[in-house]
Amino acid sequence: MALRLKGTMMKTIKILGVLLLASMVGFTSAMAMDVDEIVNRANLASYYGGDDGKARAKMVIKNDKGDERTREFTILRLDKEDGGDQFFYLYFHKPGDVAKTVFMVHKKVGGDDDRWLYLPALDLVKRIAASDKRTSFVGSNFFYEDVSGRQVDDDTHTLLEETGDAYILMNVPKDPDSVEFSRYKLWIDKKTFLPVKAEYEDKQGKLYRVVEALKFGEFDGVPTVTESRVKDLVSGGETVLTFSDISYGVGLDESLFTERYLRKPPRKYIRR
Amino acid sequence: MKRIALAALIVTLSPLSFAAELPFTGFLEAGIASRIVGDDNADDEIVMQEGRFQLDFLNDGDYGTLQFKGDFVSDGVTEESRLELRELSIIMTPHEQIDLKVGRQTLTWGTGDLLFLNDLFPKDWQSFFIGRDDEYLKKPSDALRASWFGDTWNVDLAWTPTFTPDGFVDGERLSYWGGSGKAGPKSGYTIDPVEVDKTIDNGELAGRVYANLGGNEVAFYGYRGFYGQPLGYDAGENNLYHPELVSYGASVRSALFGGVVNIEVARYQSEDDSSGDNPMVPNSEVRGLVAFSREILPEQTLGVQFYIEHMDDWDSSAEDAGGFDRGEDRVWWTLRYRGMFMQQNLILSLFTFYSPTDDDGYARPKVTYKISDKLQYTIGGNIFFGEEDNSFFGQLEDNTNIYARLRYSY
Repeated sequence: MALRLKGTMMKTIKILGVLLLASMVGFTSAMAMDVDEIVNRANLASYYGGDDGKARAKMVIKNDKGDERTREFTILRLDKEDGGDQFFYLYFHKPGDVAKTVFMVHKKVGGDDDRWLYLPALDLVKRIAASDKRTSFVGSNFFYEDVSGRQVDDDTHTLLEETGDAYILMNVPKDPDSVEFSRYKLWIDKKTFLPVKAEYEDKQGKLYRVVEALKFGEFDGVPTVTESRVKDLVSGGETVLTFSDISYGVGLDESLFTERYLRKPPRKYIRR
Repeated sequence: MKRIALAALIVTLSPLSFAAELPFTGFLEAGIASRIVGDDNADDEIVMQEGRFQLDFLNDGDYGTLQFKGDFVSDGVTEESRLELRELSIIMTPHEQIDLKVGRQTLTWGTGDLLFLNDLFPKDWQSFFIGRDDEYLKKPSDALRASWFGDTWNVDLAWTPTFTPDGFVDGERLSYWGGSGKAGPKSGYTIDPVEVDKTIDNGELAGRVYANLGGNEVAFYGYRGFYGQPLGYDAGENNLYHPELVSYGASVRSALFGGVVNIEVARYQSEDDSSGDNPMVPNSEVRGLVAFSREILPEQTLGVQFYIEHMDDWDSSAEDAGGFDRGEDRVWWTLRYRGMFMQQNLILSLFTFYSPTDDDGYARPKVTYKISDKLQYTIGGNIFFGEEDNSFFGQLEDNTNIYARLRYSY
């Protein structure tokens, strides 16, 4: 309650500041301030729902020939603070060759994440080198960054348009060489602040990748995207990601994200 | 023929994938490996030809977790069928800070990539050299693993009541340096070392104390048992044996320079040669490892390791040893490349060992392609080279082989 009050106060101060600034430098900066607010709220809505969360994820990956591959995993997430560092724990159920494998991430905002892979057949806890965040996540059309979130500060954001139910933003990377796109257009739902759609343009300005939220739901009071799809317009491939068994405020403890639970997946949260 | 039969079985079993979910997982695999250079010491160029059926079962309950994993193997080289029990264990949590795992299990710790300093748990090097899956490099132990978890520091103790030796090159499939010349399948001279008595004080005890200090993983290790390979010679028995070994060491692993850095050291005390003057028993050593790996291109990783074994009393033992003089220091450089392509369905990897001190090396190229979620094939090679016939990898030169495996996971 105290936090929320503090948030409201902060917002009031912010708005006052904006008004002051706006009166001095005109309305463009007022616009920019709004955009940051939208982006921050969208970031929290997409990646920091509740203080922790648990879900079962299913990915169906299709190539242009229609060949299908499936990935199924349980994902556990704990936030150190909203918008800050996080812990992720992914337990793979399928396919058979990766079943029981665990992928654990200590995500650090503004630094390289610590990542581990547990390979049960060898009882091996493998430390994984930091990787390009815009590469395929477990062979799907989703990128690591789509799953764990792109750093808000990595792009400059502009509000293009405000429709009845969405904010439409244009996002341009600050370091264009670090990514494969030149910019992306983002639709954000005004009510939930969940991203509804993202369209990525390549370096030539051609649309080549579309991420869309297909289904929504509300769990423990947290609006959630339950089904989303990535279409790769170049390769013709696509991946549909569906979440089930979603819950928030599960009461996950930090100790869960340690070597102990790589060897002994927590039965309480992972149904095998 | 067996291989064809297995392939046929895979095809007939395929419709099973549409059936209801099975309560267990596993795979069917057919594999073959052949020497590519002639070996005068072998009658047959085939070093591996087998069909494997693995069944993996897990049950979670209030008591803990029960795990079973077994391989039924039809082996064309030894012309036998056998059951390999890979795992039969129960994990229990008698106290919120304690886990106990009892039974047959695979045990691993340490930071090296295919270099083991403080991980003295059993390995099957023969499997590793003839093209079986990496999984089989680790040989299971019948052990009790007790772990205590503190706020920062944790303790692991693994007790194996009866010593489990490594799977080593014994001349049955692969030839090796036999002291005065190459020995191999043809000579009929296989290594059958003196077994360690199965008494209670001949068990193996391994321990580890470790912590993750802000992303820096620090660990201390200890071991009391025997050399996994029969490295000692018992004159009385006129046979090789597993000398006693006591070891302790430490490691640290961190994310650094955009990749992962790990450093590990180990002290090996050869208890049967504490004065370091018996050439028939391994000398005491210090072993060290410095390693770095990082992504060089998207989905492509490179790892480099520098490894050294330093003998305590090289002068006194090497002169009389008669075998290969490896010198006071043995150095290995290893390089690993791993790249994923075609949406991670094609995996190319190469692991190489090179020793500038022994003038020999070993390369493991491998290509894996996942045709579907269920079907994948792997082709690869085990390439040994060396200046001398009796160096560590040089002695295996004639065993250089290529292999192929087809696996159907269910």
